[in-house]
Amino acid sequence: MNPPTEMPTAPRPVHPPRIAHRCLVTLLLAMLAATFASLLVSEPAGAQGTDSVIQVQVKEQRREGGRQVNEPVPDVSVTVFDADGNEIGTGVTDEKGIVAIPVPARADYTVVLDEDTLPDDSVLAAQTPAEQAVNGESFVTARRIVNYFTGESQRVAQSTFDRWSQRIADGVRLGLVIAMCSVGLSLIFGTTGLTNFAHGEMVTFGALVAWVLNKNGLHITFAALLALIAGGALGYSMDRFGFARLRARGVGLITQMVITIGLSIMAKNFFLFRFGGRDQPYFDYTNQVGRKYGPVVITPRDLIVMILSLIVLVAVAMTLQFTRLGKATRAVSDNVELASATGIDTTKVIRLIWVAAGVLAALGGVFRGLDEQVAWDMGTGLLFLMFAAITLGGLGSAYGALLGGFVVGLMVEMSTLFGVPSELKTVPALAVLVLILLVRPQGILGRAQRVG
Amino acid sequence: MNFMSVIESTLAQLVGRNACYYAIAAIGLNVQFGYAGLLNFGQAAFMAAGAYGLAQTLPVLGISLWWGIALGVGYSIVLGVLMGLPTLRLRADYLAIVTIAVAEIVRLVVRSQSATRVFGGSNGLQTFSRQFRQLGIDLGIAPGKTYGFWAFRFSGRDLWVLIVGWSLVVIFGVLVWLLMRSPWGRILKAIREDEDAVRSLGKNVYSYKMQALVLGGVIGTFGGMIIAIGADSVQPDNFSRDLTFYVLTGLVLGGIAKVTGSIVGPMLFWALYAFLDSFLRQLIGNKPVRIGNTTIISTVQVGPVVFMLMGALLVTLMVYRPQGLFGNRKEMAFDGR
Repeated sequence: MNPPTEMPTAPRPVHPPRIAHRCLVTLLLAMLAATFASLLVSEPAGAQGTDSVIQVQVKEQRREGGRQVNEPVPDVSVTVFDADGNEIGTGVTDEKGIVAIPVPARADYTVVLDEDTLPDDSVLAAQTPAEQAVNGESFVTARRIVNYFTGESQRVAQSTFDRWSQRIADGVRLGLVIAMCSVGLSLIFGTTGLTNFAHGEMVTFGALVAWVLNKNGLHITFAALLALIAGGALGYSMDRFGFARLRARGVGLITQMVITIGLSIMAKNFFLFRFGGRDQPYFDYTNQVGRKYGPVVITPRDLIVMILSLIVLVAVAMTLQFTRLGKATRAVSDNVELASATGIDTTKVIRLIWVAAGVLAALGGVFRGLDEQVAWDMGTGLLFLMFAAITLGGLGSAYGALLGGFVVGLMVEMSTLFGVPSELKTVPALAVLVLILLVRPQGILGRAQRVG
Repeated sequence: MNFMSVIESTLAQLVGRNACYYAIAAIGLNVQFGYAGLLNFGQAAFMAAGAYGLAQTLPVLGISLWWGIALGVGYSIVLGVLMGLPTLRLRADYLAIVTIAVAEIVRLVVRSQSATRVFGGSNGLQTFSRQFRQLGIDLGIAPGKTYGFWAFRFSGRDLWVLIVGWSLVVIFGVLVWLLMRSPWGRILKAIREDEDAVRSLGKNVYSYKMQALVLGGVIGTFGGMIIAIGADSVQPDNFSRDLTFYVLTGLVLGGIAKVTGSIVGPMLFWALYAFLDSFLRQLIGNKPVRIGNTTIISTVQVGPVVFMLMGALLVTLMVYRPQGLFGNRKEMAFDGR
């Protein structure tokens, strides 16, 4: 039996316990069954010993009174990749300009130095490029040393204008992805009042499905299309078999919210279980060389992703603005009872929003995966930025989420221009999320109303 | 399959260090979530406050360990006010989003390379608990000796931590129990049921909510101190979003708005965790389970699988028995809308 779980005074429809049972089972199955494909194909990352070490040293070379002086450069970020391009480890140089990164064996690796983390006016010397290959046979002892030299070189340091343009371009790229992922989250909130903590995992889901298909030989474009369908199916099942039934049972919103937390824990650990803890790239359009468009260097892949994102987002906005369906969606989002009274089938609209949210999240995941890499926890990190975006734009407003996503993306990437260390670049966006509630709780585009 | 070892590790976790600090954190979370209806999803940040407060004493500030208690409590009060200020006047879900965001900010800042001298970066801070261990030795608990019987065997060092930890559980448990029977607690519960009604009686709802948020946070802080003192080190990544969620799972398992629930729940959470973990490990053995060429599961994957099941447990509980084991269905009315 499933007796009431909410305030006893609240009126509720009476449902047979059978529904509750099916509701749970299908809810659990929906997340798992959809990712079952990956169970058959993805090989998890095994355990690794750490007997060997790659020691990276970064030094600044200067001439002082005819003598050459080497000065250590701290706080430079370095990453080691194996021969297949998998990330092995990453680290930041200490006061001595040294960082040691453990590697599983004496094999071939690529060491990549993040040039953005070098001090402002210094560049790498020509003889030590940012990417250095390490041959397995060059491990004389367990410790292989890799040197980087910085200093004045022939290369002209990036001008302020170029740096700003580059950051803005990166910010737009991130902002487009965040906006795409947030629209669904915001609309689900607007129509049902539910804050979906599993939305980040819906993003990861799309990226992983595409990765698994891609790994099995399907080109990324087709893999992405199938991932979108899978994302839509996931959104559909989450509502049809999960939250729609919970709503019908009259389960409270906070209970539902905690259920999304449970789903998030489940899904995240399932991804870790099947996919493994390493970041993986897609197999097409990798290793592209950036091209210069005006002051901005960008790879053709990223440019196409940006254009596609923009098309999708404009299409979403147009649909919401001009079609009957879009108007119905906005009406439900505004006031469910009123929309229902005017003859809109709210159940159908909410179902549709879940499907759209699933599709957009999956697409955002694929784009993010192309942009960076695919990882089991990539959605978790994005969820914080999505929360910032929808709060900034106005909870429940679709246009607000688009605008907020954009602003948050820019804020994250541009914060380094104002001296924020790169590992803290999401902090200003999160801080704004808190501050906006102090000054304008309804967000930029939200309508002022009593919310407390 | 060695069933005895499965049972033994389950029982050891039932009263172990993990269960202990989870219980303290859950008592605090219960004040906020269970009694006042405040959705604090940033309990991990309060725990980090306590842990770093202790850890900073010797390695960073060079002061006595005991000042760290005041430092940790101070941090968590500041944190609670910061979280509450923008959100307590707003709807409940805003607090959820803000607390989770602030907890992430705290984690990023303490692991930041640029604040290494203050928080130790991603390696955290170590070796600060000498005075605490000395006190245990002075009280006659030899760190090297093994105490206990059967499944409940602990080194003297662990035992001393456990004694202090479970004493704190009892103290906070009784404190919260007494508080919730007092007029103050009744107002808190009334706010959970109907905020406007309480406001119409002339009570300052905002102030009561803030007090509950800070009190719950300060209790959670002591949970963080037990983590720090037990391991003699703090690592920023211990205090991720997931820590809050697992504490929440433990609390929901035991039962919301019940002191017994907030203590027994985390104990059962860890006992269940240990049971599933060692059961699966025993089941799999040394060789990964394969079908054809595909690995189904190997021992390194047991961790994620167990936490996956814990997530499923949280979903199951919330659908079937949201009041948990000890909760009262009438007390589950924290659902405002």
